[in-house]
Amino acid sequence: MNKRVTLTIAKIEHETKDIKTFTFYHKLDARPGQFIMLTDFEGGEKPFSISDCTENEFSVTVKKIGEFTTRLFSKREGDLMSFRGAYGSSFFISNTKVLLVGGGYGVPPLYFLAKRLLKAGAEVVVVNGARTEEDLLFDDKFKELNIKYINITEKGDLGKKGTSVSIAKKLLQNQLVPKPQLGNNNHPQAGAWGRENREKFDFLYAAGPEKMMKNLQKFTGDITYEFLLERYMKCAIGICGNCTVDPLGIRLCVEGPVLHKKLVEQLTEFGKYHRDASGKRIGF
Amino acid sequence: MYNRLKTKFLGIEVKSPLVLPAGIMDMSFSGLDISARNGAGMVTSKSLTLEPRSGHKGPVIAEFESGLLNSMGLCNPGIVDGLAEIDEFKERSDTPVIVSVFANNTQDFIKITNRVNDSKADFLELNLSCPNVYDEFGIPLAASKNKVYEIVNAVKRDSELPVIAKLSPNVLNIIDIATAAEKAGADALCLINTVGPGMLIDIKMVKPVLFPKFGGLSGPCIKPVALKLIYQTYSAVNIPIIGMGGVTDGEDAIEMIMAGAILVGVGTAVYYRGIEVFNKINKEIIQFMDESGYSLLEEIPRLEKLENATQTSDL
Repeated sequence: MNKRVTLTIAKIEHETKDIKTFTFYHKLDARPGQFIMLTDFEGGEKPFSISDCTENEFSVTVKKIGEFTTRLFSKREGDLMSFRGAYGSSFFISNTKVLLVGGGYGVPPLYFLAKRLLKAGAEVVVVNGARTEEDLLFDDKFKELNIKYINITEKGDLGKKGTSVSIAKKLLQNQLVPKPQLGNNNHPQAGAWGRENREKFDFLYAAGPEKMMKNLQKFTGDITYEFLLERYMKCAIGICGNCTVDPLGIRLCVEGPVLHKKLVEQLTEFGKYHRDASGKRIGF
Repeated sequence: MYNRLKTKFLGIEVKSPLVLPAGIMDMSFSGLDISARNGAGMVTSKSLTLEPRSGHKGPVIAEFESGLLNSMGLCNPGIVDGLAEIDEFKERSDTPVIVSVFANNTQDFIKITNRVNDSKADFLELNLSCPNVYDEFGIPLAASKNKVYEIVNAVKRDSELPVIAKLSPNVLNIIDIATAAEKAGADALCLINTVGPGMLIDIKMVKPVLFPKFGGLSGPCIKPVALKLIYQTYSAVNIPIIGMGGVTDGEDAIEMIMAGAILVGVGTAVYYRGIEVFNKINKEIIQFMDESGYSLLEEIPRLEKLENATQTSDL
């Protein structure tokens, strides 16, 4: 049994105009990719990925989307909240060379992951993409880590236009093509992704919009990957069936939200549809 | 091995007496399918209503020391989409399926019944006993023998499928209700739905833990209540019973059978023992049969029926 914990909000950080990070002083036994169910008992209990977790505190990063999160945004440090968890599957902690690809609001759990990977001795490359510079999450936090970090926006207000997938594609394809010849400027891998930037990844992790991951999947080749998926969750303990994914019937709150390549590849609904609070199928 | 667990329910053979009850892992065809693949002999859909329902705002479920408290609020994709999920399930599985339906009045039950007639479902279960929509619909229909009689009787006239009435434990006299359903033509009974309702309080925020305040109680703690009500009902009626309430292992399932159940529902145990729970309990039933010298499920004896059961008051 997972005991419910009710405690005060220790810290609130403004990440962007509609995203805040809430930190609680509590020793939470959580692994990267797991989530908690958060409520104020005023109507609404929602799952949030853990964006950071240290010895005595943990954080969740919340986007203002609906009624519950709007109310959450009016809370102040010192206000009480209640949570249960951590629930769900977690990312494999590799100690090799790994690539983390995040998009938009999906990025925060990858920060927690990056920290744990570094601790395990992995060589970490993070690609963080967003619509605009303003929407880019955890930019400063990632820059403080001992990782190779690439940020990119669709608007191009950081210099180049692109998406996390367009960057990841280059990084991943780079390891699949022959070594570019020096001086051969016509080679597709010449230039920005020249010889010294060649990457060879053993593991790929991604979190973000499902369309983004669906797109990223095309460039994964033989590399092993894990994706963090989202579905409408109610019970979070694997009985209500609202978050089962087709056709496997696995529960994203128990067997997920982190799914291994072998499972993702079998999902017919991946990138296509999900189910709403009533269980009705909704296209992405 | 599982040949020994085969049994017949209303003329249909099932590979195991274990049933996935309404409300558990049953929002989608894939949820039904994974339960069947893990050893459930029969599966039940989420209770379907005429229109889709999002259910209550959360928290809708609470874990506590002795079980679960839930008030999902009858969330379901509606009869049309819900039946489509069932049909998709039937395309990939030969496991019999019960479609559970909910309505608040006879007229809506009839409309739903006619929809179900056109589906691939095997049985129609009338959820007369949801304890969690009191604010919206009042006291569950299963609390009134007249209402139970009226609805079962009307549905029976239109239904092309055998009709199962799902009964509530939260009534003064279960036998009155069960016999009313039988007289109205119910082909089988399913009991019990969740107990209570009950509540839990967050003592720091001074708030009910469930946002709907109250919720139905399930889990091991309700088993004795379920056994008693199933036994009383078994003593009073001549139609088969799907028994459920707190069944967590093989021995619990045997108790249900001894109390008079033909099939046994396993719901909250999915939370305790994972989706593999059906196969685990199947094995445990067989283990008990081996130890006790029963070669087939049907050899497991029932308790002697209560004398004068129809005159026995629950009070």
